[in-house]
Amino acid sequence: MSRALAAELFKLRTTRTSWAVMGGSVLLVVIISLIAALAGDFDSVGGTPPGQDIMSIAGLVQIFALVLGILIVATEFRHGTITPSMLAVPDRVRLMLAKLVAGVTAGALLGLVAGVLCALIIFPIFSARDIDSEVTTGHVIELIVGNAAASALFAAVGVGLGALIRNQVGAIIGALGWLFLVEPLLGIIPGFSDFIQKWFPSGASSETAGTSGLDDPLSQIPAGVLLAAYAAIFLVAGIAMVRRRDVSA
Amino acid sequence: MPAIEVAGLTKRFGETLAVDDLSFTVEQGHIVGFLGPNGAGKTTTLRVVLGLINATSGTATIEGKRYAQLSDPVHTVGALLDGGMFHPGRSGRNHLRSVARAAGVSDARVSELLELVALSGAADRRAGGYSLGMRQRLGLAAALLGDPHVLVLDEPANGLDPQGIRWLRDFLRQLAGEGRAVLVSSHVLAEVAQTADEVVVIARGRSVAQAPLAELTARSGGGMRVAGPDAPKLGELLRADGADVTGDGDRAIIVKGRTGEDIGRLIAANAIVISELAPSGSSLEEIFFELTGAEGGPS
Repeated sequence: MSRALAAELFKLRTTRTSWAVMGGSVLLVVIISLIAALAGDFDSVGGTPPGQDIMSIAGLVQIFALVLGILIVATEFRHGTITPSMLAVPDRVRLMLAKLVAGVTAGALLGLVAGVLCALIIFPIFSARDIDSEVTTGHVIELIVGNAAASALFAAVGVGLGALIRNQVGAIIGALGWLFLVEPLLGIIPGFSDFIQKWFPSGASSETAGTSGLDDPLSQIPAGVLLAAYAAIFLVAGIAMVRRRDVSA
Repeated sequence: MPAIEVAGLTKRFGETLAVDDLSFTVEQGHIVGFLGPNGAGKTTTLRVVLGLINATSGTATIEGKRYAQLSDPVHTVGALLDGGMFHPGRSGRNHLRSVARAAGVSDARVSELLELVALSGAADRRAGGYSLGMRQRLGLAAALLGDPHVLVLDEPANGLDPQGIRWLRDFLRQLAGEGRAVLVSSHVLAEVAQTADEVVVIARGRSVAQAPLAELTARSGGGMRVAGPDAPKLGELLRADGADVTGDGDRAIIVKGRTGEDIGRLIAANAIVISELAPSGSSLEEIFFELTGAEGGPS
């Protein structure tokens, strides 16, 4: 397993795309954190502490972790590199588990780096602007760890989704379409919006990160379990698909 | 135990029967040419042998085991398959390293192989910019990473220039000389004729022959080859006379069941212009077409 994992981590760090996804998303978090912390007006925020509110910016990387997870599997099918990968690791379940661990590792790292940078940017600016963040150091650590966990789990969902769909563009469009189109549209149904934000994947990821906007969200650990269950569904289906599939290109 | 054994292999893709009850063996230390026209089922067969495609029925084993059961596949079998197997953005060296990591092969071995296939100079460039020949050589390097004793090569000569084909031929001989078993597919018989100990010929998924090459050559009847501007016209006359005539390109025919003199008389009697009349060396292609029932047209 360690060899297969070493190979997956190596593949992940030897393409520009993975660096672009990770670097681009972290850069986005840094820029938006800076703008929000410098120019934001935090008096109008209702019940949510300003520190928690602005830390949700780090949550942007969760989507990118999902894309990264998809790429780890779908890129191999796109370029045919799945053939040498399967020749070296013919046990397809083992191969997919190695990809899962690689994806989860990269996702966790991405979430951690984004959370730490976000905190390092906003809290000094807050104290310079004399804004009360209304969060303790312990709470900030929970938010950072939560963001890392949510990103890791979203990457796991991505690995499952990539295995299930295998078409890179299709899987990414499908995932983003669900998060940015289907869930918001379902939210239009009266009374359904809170349910979606509490129980559906994107809601579960912000709850895991501890940045949910709901009055009555799931707390971080149960939300993480829920998100892990979503990941498990996609992974089981995806691995079953890859396992019995003919690889002819 | 044979290096590779394919027994009663059948593969169906939906309605299409790609491989039909195919059986053959590759003995240790032998080079076996796996021949057939494009679309005959060669690649499908090789992919079943390598555990990438599931057989509908029948088995394909390597040293008695299915590919998935091999404890150390990269050190047992090396494979080169058709088509892009590289990420265009990854360098050739990193491609080999990614396989090497999965198989527990050292980076030093990677450099050694890059040297062997003469790719050291381009190893750190993105593989997307490689020529077809460079890709084939990179694929060969990947196949040899684990120093395997069985090699499965799908159309390795594709994209190689004449110099490259010669290099490949010498390379295959060297590999077999080291006692490795090689199964090498091709749609061009001449490509493997000088290297293969024996050939397996398939057409439409079925085996039509497995024999040493010399035996196949002897089996073929030969015939007379006539070339020249009026060759097609001569062919019609001969056909009308009941001879067995096959086309050999635009301006040449192969005639069976007639002596050179018979044909010469017909040429004189009809004032036909030809440029060549000679016994056909029972050319390899001819045997190939005869066995596979393929036409000599473009495919």
